[in-house]
Amino acid sequence: MYRAVILFLLALPAYSHEMTPTYPKWGPSHVDGVFKAEMELFNKRRDVEWYEIGVFDVDWKPVPFVSRYKVMRLKYLSHVQFDVYVSAPDVSTAEYVCSVSKLRESSDKKPMVATRICSRFKP
Amino acid sequence: MKRLAIALLITGSAHAIDVPIEGTVQSRCLINTDVSGVYGNPNAYTLTTTPADGGVLPVVRYDVSLADAYKARITYPTAFSASPSLSDMVTWTGSVTVQEVSDVAMADYDTDAVEYDQTKEYDLTATGTTWFKIASSATYGGGGNKAFPGGTYRALVVAECIAQ
Repeated sequence: MYRAVILFLLALPAYSHEMTPTYPKWGPSHVDGVFKAEMELFNKRRDVEWYEIGVFDVDWKPVPFVSRYKVMRLKYLSHVQFDVYVSAPDVSTAEYVCSVSKLRESSDKKPMVATRICSRFKP
Repeated sequence: MKRLAIALLITGSAHAIDVPIEGTVQSRCLINTDVSGVYGNPNAYTLTTTPADGGVLPVVRYDVSLADAYKARITYPTAFSASPSLSDMVTWTGSVTVQEVSDVAMADYDTDAVEYDQTKEYDLTATGTTWFKIASSATYGGGGNKAFPGGTYRALVVAECIAQ
């Protein structure tokens, strides 16, 4: 049967995605009325180079935020520290900050698993 | 020659400096793709990760360094992310199960898990590593067993780690 029997993914070594801290804190920023949280992302997925950042409320609805890049390129085995800024009225509703792997359709590597890690703002 | 080598070593040590290595220990969750999935094609109208049908089950590993801090949420596919043009219906089935645990305290993860739609949610109540295997099957033709068009098919498992 030559009909396509297709690979989801090649059998590859373990790849991982990590974001810290688990429980970030809002702190003051250099702009009045805007709060900042400091995050760090580590890419140990050889098959992924891009990650998207999002901030969500308790019902997983998006909360407006600003970061240097909402979609950032992170090479294999690279760390990046990034800040997330939210205006004062949104600080109390922001519950989660998440990073999700962005998979490229044109990539030679064909990842089957999309990963998302979410940290939580605890009162 | 020996004297020169000794002199070089002495000179080198005179310029030695301390190189600090810093690290922090904090709670974290890592999601690892240990085994990537492969679809087998046991007949013209089925794609499946079942090993007996030529497939490979994807395995995702969660490493957690703080108990009761995270939930694992794993969703099996309900659509192709890449495929030839399909004119008929695809019926999806799947499952998520714990394959292996690093701590006996994780033994009840499967029975305590909450399942809804195509998602299974686990409270990661113990520190350590848990391996999850994900099964996925797609049948073409809406029960009519229609042959899949030739081409490349791909679908995505979504593995999430959510702080509690």
